[in-house]
Amino acid sequence: MSFIINKKLYKSRLIIGSGKYKDFKQAKNVLKASGAEMITVAIKRTNIGQDQKQENLLDYIDPSHYKILPNTAGCFSANDAIRVALLAKELLNDNLIKLEVLADKDTLLPNESETLIAAKELVKLGFAIMVYTTDNITLAKELERVGCIAVMPLASPIGTGKGITKPEYIKKIIRNANVPVIVDAGIGTASDATIAMELGCDGVLLNSAIAMSDDPIIMAEAMKYAVISGRKAYEAKRMKISDIAIPSSNKKNVLS
Amino acid sequence: MNILLNGKQLSADNNISLIKLLELNNINEKNIVIEINKKIITKDLWGETRLNKNDKIEVITAVGGG
Repeated sequence: MSFIINKKLYKSRLIIGSGKYKDFKQAKNVLKASGAEMITVAIKRTNIGQDQKQENLLDYIDPSHYKILPNTAGCFSANDAIRVALLAKELLNDNLIKLEVLADKDTLLPNESETLIAAKELVKLGFAIMVYTTDNITLAKELERVGCIAVMPLASPIGTGKGITKPEYIKKIIRNANVPVIVDAGIGTASDATIAMELGCDGVLLNSAIAMSDDPIIMAEAMKYAVISGRKAYEAKRMKISDIAIPSSNKKNVLS
Repeated sequence: MNILLNGKQLSADNNISLIKLLELNNINEKNIVIEINKKIITKDLWGETRLNKNDKIEVITAVGGG
């Protein structure tokens, strides 16, 4: 199955975040090295009273090559998220949004009820919603039912890098979904991204795993191959696990 | 009159236009979107929009995020 988001086909199943980089140039170089075609941005206040020539992140991302996915990061209520989504739409002239409504500042876990309220309202307003959610299968299905175009369960909490802590939950979401399932948050290193793809995820969204590594450019490249690798392994369907050892060479013609 | 620009209290001329406020505060018009009292003001209206006392103006852009 191809990776299609909002009627657009993507070759890469990796989506990267633009946060925590040394500067915009590094973010741009990471984007290139990762092979990702979609990059998330946050929608926030500008710095006032600085140089007019101060650079902007958007100057570094070529919209003819990359899809910019604005998020509603920092929102703790449906109303705030809707407000940010409308600002993003005006800024980027696009209806695509990563909906993220958080429960509290300590866990950064999704607020399930507010996420659902915001999703319903944003669908009415014509948004194409990729929604950050918990690993709660009932909620994932409900978000799909109300019209979200992708569901994005967390692997583990944002910024922890703990990887996929409950793979069976992610698998259940994938089995029941009719929209792309993208693991979002918690990926720590390349093997985590591979495992997500081997489980059958349609894509992986990550930020800190690249940005907080010692060498973001090399890690971006590692993530590119990790996602490709995991997807290919998923498509190839892995061998059966056996409790008994089975020799790799033919049992016949053994020297005696 | 007093206004709030991105949460910061400022003194501005009565009836100042939005575009003049941007200019006075050195704000690049590219890659921003503006809200006054939580209502988005589209770019074509920046010239004709006049500010009132205690207006809350938000100048928003895209920044790094995941």
